[in-house]
Amino acid sequence: MILFDFELERPDTAADAVALLGRLRGDARLLAGGTDLMPNMRAELVKPGVLVSLGAIAPEAPATLPDGSLRVDAFSRLADLERSGVVHARAPMLAESARAVGGNQVREMGTLGGNLCQESRCLYFNQRHDYQFAARCYKLGGERCYPFPTNKRDTCWSVYMSDVAPALVALGADVEILSEAGGRRIPVEELFTGSGLAPLALDGAELIRAAIVPAPAPRTGWAFHKSTVRGGLEFGMAVIAVTLALADDGKTCAGARIAVGAVRERPVRASAAERVLAGAVPEDARLAEAAAAAAKEVNPLPHHGFTKRYLMDNIRVHLRRTLARALERARGARG
Amino acid sequence: MLDVTKSGLGSEARTRARLVSLCVNGEWHEVAVKPRVTLVEAIRDAIGLTGTKASCECGTCGACTVLVDGRPVLACITLAVECDGRQVRTVEGLADGEKLSALQEAFLDQGGLQCGFCTPGMLMSATALLERSPRPSREEINKALEGNLCRCTGYNAIVDAVLQASGQGVKPVMK
Ligand SMILES: Cc1cc2nc3c(=O)[nH]c(=O)nc-3n(C[C@H](O)[C@H](O)[C@H](O)COP(=O)(O)OP(=O)(O)OC[C@H]3O[C@@H](n4cnc5c(N)ncnc54)[C@H](O)[C@@H]3O)c2cc1C
Ligand code: FES
Ligand code: FES
Repeated sequence: MILFDFELERPDTAADAVALLGRLRGDARLLAGGTDLMPNMRAELVKPGVLVSLGAIAPEAPATLPDGSLRVDAFSRLADLERSGVVHARAPMLAESARAVGGNQVREMGTLGGNLCQESRCLYFNQRHDYQFAARCYKLGGERCYPFPTNKRDTCWSVYMSDVAPALVALGADVEILSEAGGRRIPVEELFTGSGLAPLALDGAELIRAAIVPAPAPRTGWAFHKSTVRGGLEFGMAVIAVTLALADDGKTCAGARIAVGAVRERPVRASAAERVLAGAVPEDARLAEAAAAAAKEVNPLPHHGFTKRYLMDNIRVHLRRTLARALERARGARG
Repeated sequence: MLDVTKSGLGSEARTRARLVSLCVNGEWHEVAVKPRVTLVEAIRDAIGLTGTKASCECGTCGACTVLVDGRPVLACITLAVECDGRQVRTVEGLADGEKLSALQEAFLDQGGLQCGFCTPGMLMSATALLERSPRPSREEINKALEGNLCRCTGYNAIVDAVLQASGQGVKPVMK
Protein backbone atom coordinates (compact mmCIF):
# COMPACT_ATOMS: atom_id res chain seq x y z
CA MET A 1 0.00 0.00 0.00
CA ILE A 2 1.29 3.42 -0.96
CA LEU A 3 0.15 6.00 1.50
CA PHE A 4 0.10 9.13 -0.65
CA ASP A 5 -1.59 10.13 -3.87
CA PHE A 6 0.14 10.82 -7.15
CA GLU A 7 -0.80 11.19 -10.78
CA LEU A 8 0.33 8.83 -13.50
CA GLU A 9 0.97 9.51 -17.17
CA ARG A 10 1.57 6.89 -19.84
CA PRO A 11 3.25 8.59 -22.80
CA ASP A 12 3.41 6.65 -26.08
CA THR A 13 6.97 7.57 -26.98
CA ALA A 14 10.24 8.18 -25.18
CA ALA A 15 10.25 11.72 -26.61
CA ASP A 16 6.89 12.42 -24.99
CA ALA A 17 8.21 10.97 -21.73
CA VAL A 18 11.15 13.39 -21.58
CA ALA A 19 8.89 16.26 -22.62
CA LEU A 20 6.65 15.48 -19.64
CA LEU A 21 9.65 15.17 -17.33
CA GLY A 22 10.91 18.51 -18.60
CA ARG A 23 7.63 20.26 -17.88
CA LEU A 24 7.01 18.66 -14.51
CA ARG A 25 10.54 19.42 -13.29
CA GLY A 26 11.44 17.61 -10.11
CA ASP A 27 7.91 16.56 -9.19
CA ALA A 28 7.95 13.65 -11.64
CA ARG A 29 9.65 10.27 -11.67
CA LEU A 30 9.96 7.68 -14.38
CA LEU A 31 8.25 4.39 -13.65
CA ALA A 32 9.69 1.38 -15.47
CA GLY A 33 9.30 -2.03 -13.80
CA GLY A 34 8.71 -0.31 -10.47
CA THR A 35 10.67 -2.91 -8.53
CA ASP A 36 12.98 -0.29 -7.05
CA LEU A 37 10.69 2.73 -7.11
CA MET A 38 7.54 1.14 -5.64
CA PRO A 39 9.19 -0.21 -2.46
CA ASN A 40 10.93 3.16 -2.04
CA MET A 41 7.64 5.02 -2.46
CA ARG A 42 5.99 2.67 -0.02
CA ALA A 43 8.66 3.57 2.54
CA GLU A 44 8.23 7.22 1.52
CA LEU A 45 11.87 7.62 0.63
CA VAL A 46 10.57 9.41 -2.47
CA LYS A 47 7.19 11.11 -2.85
CA PRO A 48 6.76 12.14 -6.48
CA GLY A 49 3.61 14.01 -7.50
CA VAL A 50 3.53 12.39 -10.92
CA LEU A 51 4.81 9.12 -12.28
CA VAL A 52 5.71 9.03 -15.93
CA SER A 53 5.20 5.40 -16.86
CA LEU A 54 7.25 3.80 -19.61
CA GLY A 55 4.75 0.93 -19.70
CA ALA A 56 3.14 1.94 -22.98
CA ILE A 57 6.43 2.02 -24.87
CA ALA A 58 7.43 -1.39 -26.22
CA PRO A 59 11.18 -1.96 -26.10
CA GLU A 60 13.00 -2.71 -29.32
CA ALA A 61 14.67 -6.09 -29.59
CA PRO A 62 18.46 -6.11 -28.99
CA ALA A 63 20.19 -5.49 -32.32
CA THR A 64 23.68 -5.61 -33.76
CA LEU A 65 24.83 -2.27 -35.21
CA PRO A 66 26.97 -1.95 -38.40
CA ASP A 67 30.16 -1.59 -36.33
CA GLY A 68 29.48 -4.91 -34.61
CA SER A 69 28.34 -3.39 -31.33
CA LEU A 70 25.12 -4.49 -29.62
CA ARG A 71 22.35 -1.98 -28.88
CA VAL A 72 20.07 -2.95 -26.03
CA ASP A 73 16.90 -0.95 -25.38
CA ALA A 74 16.94 0.35 -21.79
CA PHE A 75 13.24 -0.45 -21.45
CA SER A 76 13.95 -4.17 -21.98
CA ARG A 77 12.98 -6.46 -19.12
CA LEU A 78 15.95 -8.20 -17.49
CA ALA A 79 14.30 -11.60 -18.03
CA ASP A 80 14.08 -10.91 -21.76
CA LEU A 81 17.80 -10.06 -21.87
CA GLU A 82 18.53 -13.26 -19.96
CA ARG A 83 16.61 -15.22 -22.61
CA SER A 84 17.79 -13.29 -25.68
CA GLY A 85 19.86 -15.31 -28.13
CA VAL A 86 21.49 -12.15 -29.53
CA VAL A 87 22.53 -10.97 -26.07
CA HIS A 88 23.92 -14.43 -25.25
CA ALA A 89 25.89 -14.44 -28.48
CA ARG A 90 27.18 -10.84 -28.45
CA ALA A 91 27.37 -9.92 -24.77
CA PRO A 92 27.00 -13.05 -22.64
CA MET A 93 28.17 -11.21 -19.51
CA LEU A 94 25.19 -8.85 -19.82
CA ALA A 95 22.85 -11.88 -19.85
CA GLU A 96 24.63 -13.41 -16.87
CA SER A 97 24.50 -10.19 -14.85
CA ALA A 98 20.77 -9.79 -15.63
CA ARG A 99 20.23 -13.34 -14.43
CA ALA A 100 21.98 -12.49 -11.16
CA VAL A 101 19.43 -9.80 -10.23
CA GLY A 102 16.86 -10.34 -7.50
CA GLY A 103 14.32 -13.12 -7.88
CA ASN A 104 12.45 -14.36 -10.90
CA GLN A 105 9.59 -11.86 -10.70
CA VAL A 106 11.99 -8.94 -10.22
CA ARG A 107 13.71 -9.92 -13.47
CA GLU A 108 10.38 -10.33 -15.26
CA MET A 109 9.33 -6.83 -14.18
CA GLY A 110 12.61 -4.93 -13.83
CA THR A 111 14.21 -3.15 -16.78
CA LEU A 112 17.79 -2.44 -17.79
CA GLY A 113 17.30 1.33 -17.37
CA GLY A 114 15.67 0.93 -13.97
CA ASN A 115 18.45 -1.36 -12.88
CA LEU A 116 21.09 1.22 -13.78
CA CYS A 117 19.09 4.04 -12.15
CA GLN A 118 18.24 2.23 -8.95
CA GLU A 119 18.59 4.12 -5.70
CA SER A 120 21.64 3.32 -3.57
CA ARG A 121 21.05 1.26 -0.46
CA CYS A 122 21.87 1.17 3.23
CA LEU A 123 20.38 -0.87 6.07
CA TYR A 124 19.17 2.33 7.69
CA PHE A 125 17.95 4.12 4.59
CA ASN A 126 15.75 1.40 3.10
CA GLN A 127 12.92 1.40 5.58
CA ARG A 128 10.16 3.64 6.80
CA HIS A 129 11.89 6.36 8.76
CA ASP A 130 9.00 7.52 10.88
CA TYR A 131 8.72 3.96 12.09
CA GLN A 132 12.10 3.47 13.70
CA PHE A 133 13.94 6.72 13.74
CA ALA A 134 13.05 10.10 15.10
CA ALA A 135 15.06 12.04 12.57
CA ARG A 136 15.82 11.55 8.90
CA CYS A 137 19.28 10.60 7.69
CA TYR A 138 21.58 12.74 5.50
CA LYS A 139 20.31 11.15 2.31
CA LEU A 140 16.79 12.25 3.19
CA GLY A 141 17.92 15.76 4.05
CA GLY A 142 18.23 15.10 7.77
CA GLU A 143 20.87 15.84 10.36
CA ARG A 144 22.56 12.52 11.01
CA CYS A 145 23.99 9.34 9.61
CA TYR A 146 22.79 6.42 11.73
CA PRO A 147 25.27 3.70 10.70
CA PHE A 148 28.28 6.05 10.54
CA PRO A 149 27.63 8.80 13.11
CA THR A 150 31.01 10.43 12.56
CA ASN A 151 30.45 10.98 8.84
CA LYS A 152 30.24 14.61 7.75
CA ARG A 153 27.06 16.03 6.24
CA ASP A 154 28.31 15.56 2.66
CA THR A 155 29.22 11.91 3.15
CA CYS A 156 26.65 9.16 2.75
CA TRP A 157 27.93 5.61 2.60
CA SER A 158 24.93 4.04 0.99
CA VAL A 159 26.16 1.61 -1.66
CA TYR A 160 25.08 1.27 -5.28
CA MET A 161 24.07 -2.34 -5.80
CA SER A 162 23.23 -2.83 -9.45
CA ASP A 163 24.46 -6.17 -10.76
CA VAL A 164 24.26 -5.08 -14.36
CA ALA A 165 26.27 -1.86 -14.05
CA PRO A 166 29.65 -3.51 -13.25
CA ALA A 167 29.15 -5.85 -16.21
CA LEU A 168 28.51 -2.92 -18.54
CA VAL A 169 31.52 -1.05 -17.15
CA ALA A 170 33.80 -4.07 -17.72
CA LEU A 171 32.38 -4.45 -21.24
CA GLY A 172 33.25 -0.83 -21.97
CA ALA A 173 29.62 -0.04 -22.80
CA ASP A 174 28.05 3.36 -23.46
CA VAL A 175 24.57 4.54 -22.59
CA GLU A 176 22.35 6.64 -24.84
CA ILE A 177 20.69 9.41 -22.87
CA LEU A 178 17.60 11.17 -24.13
CA SER A 179 16.38 14.60 -23.11
CA GLU A 180 14.24 17.26 -24.77
CA ALA A 181 17.44 18.68 -26.23
CA GLY A 182 18.08 15.37 -28.01
CA GLY A 183 20.27 12.37 -27.47
CA ARG A 184 23.80 12.05 -26.16
CA ARG A 185 26.02 9.07 -25.67
CA ILE A 186 28.37 8.64 -22.71
CA PRO A 187 30.42 5.78 -21.25
CA VAL A 188 28.42 3.96 -18.56
CA GLU A 189 31.03 4.99 -16.02
CA GLU A 190 30.05 8.63 -16.44
CA LEU A 191 26.54 7.90 -15.23
CA PHE A 192 27.73 7.86 -11.66
CA THR A 193 28.67 10.73 -9.38
CA GLY A 194 30.36 8.70 -6.65
CA SER A 195 28.19 10.37 -4.02
CA GLY A 196 25.83 8.24 -1.95
CA LEU A 197 23.56 11.27 -1.55
CA ALA A 198 22.80 11.46 -5.28
CA PRO A 199 24.51 8.56 -7.05
CA LEU A 200 23.36 9.30 -10.61
CA ALA A 201 24.69 12.02 -12.88
CA LEU A 202 21.37 12.21 -14.75
CA ASP A 203 19.33 15.36 -14.91
CA GLY A 204 15.75 14.81 -13.66
CA ALA A 205 14.48 15.42 -17.20
CA GLU A 206 16.67 12.80 -18.87
CA LEU A 207 16.21 9.13 -19.39
CA ILE A 208 18.41 6.25 -20.44
CA ARG A 209 17.27 5.05 -23.84
CA ALA A 210 19.76 2.27 -24.57
CA ALA A 211 23.04 0.63 -23.70
CA ILE A 212 25.59 -0.01 -26.41
CA VAL A 213 28.08 -2.78 -25.90
CA PRO A 214 31.08 -2.67 -28.26
CA ALA A 215 32.18 -5.79 -30.09
CA PRO A 216 34.99 -7.42 -28.07
CA ALA A 217 38.59 -7.25 -29.25
CA PRO A 218 39.98 -10.57 -30.53
CA ARG A 219 40.98 -13.13 -27.88
CA THR A 220 38.85 -11.49 -25.18
CA GLY A 221 37.49 -13.47 -22.25
CA TRP A 222 35.01 -12.36 -19.60
CA ALA A 223 33.84 -13.49 -16.18
CA PHE A 224 31.27 -12.29 -13.67
CA HIS A 225 30.88 -13.11 -9.99
CA LYS A 226 28.29 -12.03 -7.44
CA SER A 227 28.94 -12.95 -3.81
CA THR A 228 25.82 -13.62 -1.78
CA VAL A 229 24.97 -15.31 1.49
CA ARG A 230 22.08 -17.44 0.25
CA GLY A 231 22.75 -17.65 -3.48
CA GLY A 232 19.37 -16.24 -4.47
CA LEU A 233 16.94 -13.32 -4.08
CA GLU A 234 19.62 -11.18 -2.65
CA PHE A 235 21.66 -8.08 -3.34
CA GLY A 236 25.39 -8.75 -3.72
CA MET A 237 28.00 -8.41 -0.98
CA ALA A 238 30.43 -7.67 -3.79
CA VAL A 239 29.94 -7.98 -7.53
CA ILE A 240 32.91 -8.49 -9.84
CA ALA A 241 32.96 -8.16 -13.62
CA VAL A 242 36.04 -8.65 -15.76
CA THR A 243 37.06 -8.66 -19.41
CA LEU A 244 40.59 -9.66 -20.36
CA ALA A 245 42.15 -9.59 -23.82
CA LEU A 246 45.25 -11.50 -24.93
CA ALA A 247 47.74 -10.08 -27.43
CA ASP A 248 48.58 -11.69 -30.81
CA ASP A 249 51.02 -14.08 -29.15
CA GLY A 250 48.11 -15.58 -27.18
CA LYS A 251 50.16 -15.27 -23.98
CA THR A 252 50.57 -11.61 -23.01
CA CYS A 253 47.63 -9.68 -21.61
CA ALA A 254 46.78 -6.89 -24.06
CA GLY A 255 44.48 -5.25 -21.54
CA ALA A 256 41.85 -5.90 -18.90
CA ARG A 257 38.82 -4.05 -17.58
CA ILE A 258 37.86 -4.76 -13.99
CA ALA A 259 34.74 -3.38 -12.30
CA VAL A 260 33.61 -4.00 -8.74
CA GLY A 261 30.06 -3.26 -7.66
CA ALA A 262 27.92 -3.18 -4.49
CA VAL A 263 30.78 -2.02 -2.26
CA ARG A 264 30.88 1.71 -3.00
CA GLU A 265 28.61 4.59 -3.95
CA ARG A 266 29.24 3.66 -7.58
CA PRO A 267 30.67 0.73 -9.56
CA VAL A 268 34.44 1.12 -9.30
CA ARG A 269 37.03 0.55 -12.00
CA ALA A 270 40.12 -1.12 -10.58
CA SER A 271 42.62 0.77 -12.75
CA ALA A 272 45.74 -0.06 -10.74
CA ALA A 273 44.90 -3.76 -11.02
CA GLU A 274 44.32 -3.34 -14.76
CA ARG A 275 47.81 -1.81 -15.04
CA VAL A 276 49.32 -4.78 -13.22
CA LEU A 277 47.94 -7.01 -15.97
CA ALA A 278 48.38 -4.94 -19.13
CA GLY A 279 51.45 -6.05 -21.07
CA ALA A 280 52.26 -8.83 -18.59
CA VAL A 281 51.99 -12.59 -18.90
CA PRO A 282 49.04 -13.30 -16.63
CA GLU A 283 50.41 -16.17 -14.57
CA ASP A 284 48.70 -17.08 -11.31
CA ALA A 285 50.98 -14.83 -9.29
CA ARG A 286 50.16 -11.86 -11.55
CA LEU A 287 46.45 -12.45 -11.20
CA ALA A 288 46.84 -12.60 -7.43
CA GLU A 289 48.91 -9.41 -7.46
CA ALA A 290 46.25 -7.63 -9.52
CA ALA A 291 43.45 -8.85 -7.25
CA ALA A 292 45.30 -7.65 -4.16
CA ALA A 293 45.86 -4.25 -5.75
CA ALA A 294 42.16 -4.04 -6.62
CA ALA A 295 41.02 -4.82 -3.06
CA LYS A 296 43.15 -1.91 -1.87
CA GLU A 297 42.16 0.63 -4.47
CA VAL A 298 38.46 -0.21 -4.40
CA ASN A 299 38.56 0.42 -0.66
CA PRO A 300 35.14 -1.12 0.02
CA LEU A 301 32.65 0.53 2.36
CA PRO A 302 31.29 -1.61 5.15
CA HIS A 303 27.68 -2.34 4.24
CA HIS A 304 24.75 -4.54 5.28
CA GLY A 305 26.77 -6.09 8.09
CA PHE A 306 29.86 -6.90 6.03
CA THR A 307 33.04 -5.34 7.38
CA LYS A 308 35.57 -3.53 5.27
CA ARG A 309 38.15 -6.14 6.14
CA TYR A 310 35.90 -8.99 5.05
CA LEU A 311 35.01 -7.24 1.80
CA MET A 312 38.69 -6.61 1.01
CA ASP A 313 39.36 -10.32 1.44
CA ASN A 314 36.29 -11.15 -0.61
CA ILE A 315 37.46 -8.99 -3.50
CA ARG A 316 41.04 -10.26 -3.30
CA VAL A 317 39.99 -13.92 -3.47
CA HIS A 318 37.02 -13.72 -5.85
CA LEU A 319 38.67 -11.30 -8.24
CA ARG A 320 41.66 -13.64 -8.57
CA ARG A 321 39.34 -16.54 -9.41
CA THR A 322 37.21 -14.39 -11.71
CA LEU A 323 40.31 -13.24 -13.59
CA ALA A 324 41.42 -16.85 -13.96
CA ARG A 325 38.06 -17.75 -15.52
CA ALA A 326 38.24 -14.77 -17.88
CA LEU A 327 41.75 -15.81 -18.90
CA GLU A 328 40.57 -19.32 -19.64
CA ARG A 329 37.82 -17.95 -21.85
CA ALA A 330 40.28 -15.60 -23.58
CA ARG A 331 42.48 -18.59 -24.44
CA GLY A 332 39.45 -20.38 -25.91
CA ALA A 333 38.14 -17.30 -27.74
CA ARG A 334 38.49 -16.79 -31.47
CA GLY A 335 41.60 -14.84 -32.45
CA MET B 1 -0.09 14.37 -26.01
CA LEU B 2 -1.51 15.63 -22.79
CA ASP B 3 -1.18 19.33 -22.09
CA VAL B 4 0.23 19.53 -18.61
CA THR B 5 -0.63 23.16 -18.00
CA LYS B 6 -4.29 22.67 -18.95
CA SER B 7 -4.83 19.45 -17.05
CA GLY B 8 -3.44 21.00 -13.90
CA LEU B 9 -1.07 18.13 -13.24
CA GLY B 10 1.24 18.36 -10.30
CA SER B 11 1.33 17.33 -6.68
CA GLU B 12 -1.23 19.91 -5.63
CA ALA B 13 -3.80 18.60 -8.09
CA ARG B 14 -6.32 16.17 -6.62
CA THR B 15 -5.93 12.70 -8.00
CA ARG B 16 -9.08 11.11 -9.28
CA ALA B 17 -9.91 7.46 -9.62
CA ARG B 18 -9.72 6.04 -13.13
CA LEU B 19 -11.59 3.24 -14.73
CA VAL B 20 -9.31 0.30 -15.36
CA SER B 21 -10.27 -2.88 -17.22
CA LEU B 22 -8.65 -6.07 -16.06
CA CYS B 23 -9.29 -9.45 -17.57
CA VAL B 24 -8.91 -11.68 -14.53
CA ASN B 25 -9.02 -15.41 -15.20
CA GLY B 26 -10.86 -14.81 -18.46
CA GLU B 27 -13.49 -12.45 -17.05
CA TRP B 28 -13.39 -8.70 -17.63
CA HIS B 29 -13.73 -6.43 -14.62
CA GLU B 30 -13.91 -2.66 -14.57
CA VAL B 31 -12.56 -1.14 -11.41
CA ALA B 32 -12.25 2.51 -10.38
CA VAL B 33 -8.84 3.02 -8.82
CA LYS B 34 -6.51 5.87 -8.02
CA PRO B 35 -3.02 5.51 -9.47
CA ARG B 36 -1.62 4.56 -6.06
CA VAL B 37 -3.77 1.41 -5.82
CA THR B 38 -1.69 -1.71 -6.35
CA LEU B 39 -2.73 -4.70 -8.42
CA VAL B 40 -3.04 -6.90 -5.33
CA GLU B 41 -5.37 -4.35 -3.73
CA ALA B 42 -7.49 -4.21 -6.87
CA ILE B 43 -7.66 -8.01 -7.12
CA ARG B 44 -8.47 -8.59 -3.46
CA ASP B 45 -10.47 -5.53 -2.44
CA ALA B 46 -12.17 -4.34 -5.63
CA ILE B 47 -12.65 -7.64 -7.47
CA GLY B 48 -12.96 -9.77 -4.36
CA LEU B 49 -10.59 -12.59 -5.27
CA THR B 50 -8.69 -13.19 -2.03
CA GLY B 51 -6.62 -16.17 -3.15
CA THR B 52 -3.74 -13.83 -3.98
CA LYS B 53 -1.96 -12.95 -0.75
CA ALA B 54 -0.27 -9.74 0.31
CA SER B 55 2.51 -10.36 2.80
CA CYS B 56 5.66 -8.21 2.78
CA GLU B 57 4.08 -5.72 0.34
CA CYS B 58 7.51 -4.58 -0.80
CA GLY B 59 8.56 -7.12 -3.40
CA THR B 60 10.63 -9.48 -1.28
CA CYS B 61 8.45 -12.53 -0.60
CA GLY B 62 6.52 -13.47 -3.74
CA ALA B 63 3.25 -14.28 -1.93
CA CYS B 64 1.40 -11.84 -4.20
CA THR B 65 2.67 -13.34 -7.47
CA VAL B 66 0.12 -13.31 -10.31
CA LEU B 67 0.58 -13.66 -14.06
CA VAL B 68 0.15 -10.55 -16.19
CA ASP B 69 0.12 -11.43 -19.88
CA GLY B 70 1.83 -14.66 -18.84
CA ARG B 71 4.65 -13.06 -16.84
CA PRO B 72 4.92 -13.75 -13.12
CA VAL B 73 4.83 -10.34 -11.44
CA LEU B 74 4.64 -9.07 -7.89
CA ALA B 75 1.14 -7.64 -7.54
CA CYS B 76 2.09 -5.71 -4.38
CA ILE B 77 4.50 -3.45 -6.28
CA THR B 78 2.55 -3.30 -9.54
CA LEU B 79 0.08 -0.46 -9.96
CA ALA B 80 -3.40 -1.51 -11.08
CA VAL B 81 -3.55 1.33 -13.63
CA GLU B 82 -0.48 -0.13 -15.32
CA CYS B 83 -2.44 -3.31 -16.06
CA ASP B 84 -5.34 -1.64 -17.88
CA GLY B 85 -6.54 -3.90 -20.68
CA ARG B 86 -4.30 -6.79 -19.73
CA GLN B 87 -4.73 -10.47 -18.95
CA VAL B 88 -4.29 -11.30 -15.28
CA ARG B 89 -4.23 -14.83 -13.91
CA THR B 90 -4.56 -15.62 -10.24
CA VAL B 91 -4.61 -18.86 -8.26
CA GLU B 92 -8.41 -18.99 -8.64
CA GLY B 93 -7.92 -19.46 -12.38
CA LEU B 94 -5.86 -22.66 -12.10
CA ALA B 95 -8.58 -25.17 -11.31
CA ASP B 96 -11.23 -26.10 -13.86
CA GLY B 97 -14.33 -25.96 -11.70
CA GLU B 98 -13.75 -28.52 -8.94
CA LYS B 99 -10.89 -30.13 -10.85
CA LEU B 100 -7.50 -28.94 -9.64
CA SER B 101 -4.65 -28.44 -12.12
CA ALA B 102 -1.98 -31.14 -12.30
CA LEU B 103 0.35 -28.81 -10.45
CA GLN B 104 -2.13 -28.18 -7.65
CA GLU B 105 -2.71 -31.94 -7.34
CA ALA B 106 1.03 -32.51 -7.14
CA PHE B 107 1.39 -29.87 -4.40
CA LEU B 108 -1.29 -31.67 -2.39
CA ASP B 109 0.24 -35.05 -3.04
CA GLN B 110 3.80 -34.10 -2.14
CA GLY B 111 2.83 -32.01 0.87
CA GLY B 112 4.13 -28.91 -0.90
CA LEU B 113 2.33 -26.67 1.56
CA GLN B 114 1.78 -26.34 5.27
CA CYS B 115 0.30 -23.01 6.33
CA GLY B 116 -0.42 -22.32 2.67
CA PHE B 117 0.26 -18.61 2.69
CA CYS B 118 3.02 -18.80 0.08
CA THR B 119 1.13 -21.37 -2.01
CA PRO B 120 -0.86 -19.13 -4.39
CA GLY B 121 2.35 -17.30 -5.32
CA MET B 122 4.34 -20.54 -5.61
CA LEU B 123 1.67 -22.03 -7.86
CA MET B 124 1.65 -18.99 -10.13
CA SER B 125 5.46 -18.88 -10.44
CA ALA B 126 5.55 -22.62 -11.11
CA THR B 127 2.67 -22.38 -13.61
CA ALA B 128 4.56 -19.69 -15.55
CA LEU B 129 7.66 -21.90 -15.52
CA LEU B 130 5.84 -24.97 -16.81
CA GLU B 131 4.21 -22.98 -19.60
CA ARG B 132 7.62 -21.78 -20.74
CA SER B 133 9.50 -24.99 -20.06
CA PRO B 134 7.32 -28.12 -19.74
CA ARG B 135 10.10 -30.33 -18.34
CA PRO B 136 12.27 -28.05 -16.23
CA SER B 137 15.42 -29.28 -14.53
CA ARG B 138 15.74 -29.04 -10.74
CA GLU B 139 18.07 -26.08 -11.24
CA GLU B 140 15.53 -24.32 -13.48
CA ILE B 141 12.83 -24.89 -10.88
CA ASN B 142 15.00 -23.47 -8.11
CA LYS B 143 15.73 -20.39 -10.20
CA ALA B 144 12.07 -19.91 -11.17
CA LEU B 145 10.95 -20.14 -7.54
CA GLU B 146 13.83 -18.02 -6.23
CA GLY B 147 11.49 -15.10 -5.60
CA ASN B 148 8.94 -17.08 -3.58
CA LEU B 149 9.71 -17.48 0.09
CA CYS B 150 8.22 -20.29 2.19
CA ARG B 151 8.64 -20.38 5.95
CA CYS B 152 7.14 -23.84 6.36
CA THR B 153 8.04 -26.54 3.87
CA GLY B 154 11.79 -26.29 3.40
CA TYR B 155 11.12 -26.14 -0.37
CA ASN B 156 12.02 -29.75 -1.26
CA ALA B 157 8.43 -30.92 -1.37
CA ILE B 158 7.58 -27.95 -3.58
CA VAL B 159 10.35 -28.74 -6.05
CA ASP B 160 9.26 -32.39 -6.04
CA ALA B 161 5.70 -31.30 -6.74
CA VAL B 162 6.83 -29.36 -9.80
CA LEU B 163 8.86 -32.37 -10.98
CA GLN B 164 5.86 -34.63 -10.42
CA ALA B 165 3.50 -32.30 -12.26
CA SER B 166 5.86 -32.22 -15.22
CA GLY B 167 6.03 -36.03 -15.32
CA GLN B 168 9.66 -36.32 -14.37
CA GLY B 169 9.86 -39.52 -12.39
CA VAL B 170 8.84 -38.28 -8.95
CA LYS B 171 6.53 -40.91 -7.49
CA PRO B 172 3.20 -39.76 -6.07
CA VAL B 173 3.32 -40.06 -2.27
CA MET B 174 -0.35 -40.41 -1.47
CA LYS B 175 -1.76 -42.46 -4.34
C1 LIG C 1 13.22 -8.28 -3.83
C2 LIG C 1 14.13 -7.44 -4.67
C3 LIG C 1 15.39 -7.88 -4.96
C4 LIG C 1 16.23 -7.12 -5.77
N1 LIG C 1 17.47 -7.61 -6.04
C5 LIG C 1 18.29 -6.92 -6.86
C6 LIG C 1 19.57 -7.45 -7.19
O1 LIG C 1 19.94 -8.54 -6.75
N2 LIG C 1 20.37 -6.73 -8.00
C7 LIG C 1 19.99 -5.53 -8.51
O2 LIG C 1 20.76 -4.93 -9.27
N3 LIG C 1 18.80 -4.99 -8.20
C8 LIG C 1 17.93 -5.66 -7.39
N4 LIG C 1 16.71 -5.12 -7.07
C9 LIG C 1 16.44 -3.73 -7.43
C10 LIG C 1 15.60 -3.51 -8.68
O3 LIG C 1 14.47 -4.26 -8.62
C11 LIG C 1 16.29 -3.86 -9.97
O4 LIG C 1 17.50 -3.18 -10.00
C12 LIG C 1 15.49 -3.55 -11.22
O5 LIG C 1 16.24 -3.85 -12.36
C13 LIG C 1 15.03 -2.10 -11.29
O6 LIG C 1 14.40 -1.91 -12.55
P1 LIG C 1 12.92 -1.33 -12.67
O7 LIG C 1 12.62 -1.26 -14.12
O8 LIG C 1 11.98 -2.11 -11.85
O9 LIG C 1 13.12 0.11 -12.05
P2 LIG C 1 12.08 1.15 -11.46
O10 LIG C 1 11.77 0.79 -10.05
O11 LIG C 1 10.94 1.34 -12.39
O12 LIG C 1 12.98 2.44 -11.49
C14 LIG C 1 14.11 2.60 -10.64
C15 LIG C 1 14.61 4.05 -10.76
O13 LIG C 1 15.14 4.30 -12.04
C16 LIG C 1 14.43 5.33 -12.71
N5 LIG C 1 14.33 4.88 -14.10
C17 LIG C 1 13.70 3.78 -14.57
N6 LIG C 1 13.93 3.63 -15.89
C18 LIG C 1 14.73 4.65 -16.27
C19 LIG C 1 15.33 5.05 -17.51
N7 LIG C 1 15.15 4.35 -18.64
N8 LIG C 1 16.10 6.16 -17.51
C20 LIG C 1 16.29 6.88 -16.38
N9 LIG C 1 15.76 6.56 -15.20
C21 LIG C 1 14.99 5.46 -15.13
C22 LIG C 1 13.11 5.46 -11.98
O14 LIG C 1 12.62 6.77 -12.05
C23 LIG C 1 13.51 5.08 -10.57
O15 LIG C 1 14.04 6.18 -9.89
C24 LIG C 1 15.81 -5.87 -6.28
C25 LIG C 1 14.53 -5.42 -5.98
C26 LIG C 1 13.68 -6.19 -5.20
C27 LIG C 1 12.30 -5.69 -4.90
S1 FES D 1 3.58 -9.34 -0.85
FE1 FES D 1 4.35 -8.94 -2.80
S2 FES D 1 6.34 -9.71 -2.70
FE2 FES D 1 5.66 -9.96 -0.67
S1 FES E 1 3.49 -23.20 3.36
FE1 FES E 1 3.67 -21.75 4.96
S2 FES E 1 4.90 -20.23 4.00
FE2 FES E 1 4.95 -21.79 2.55
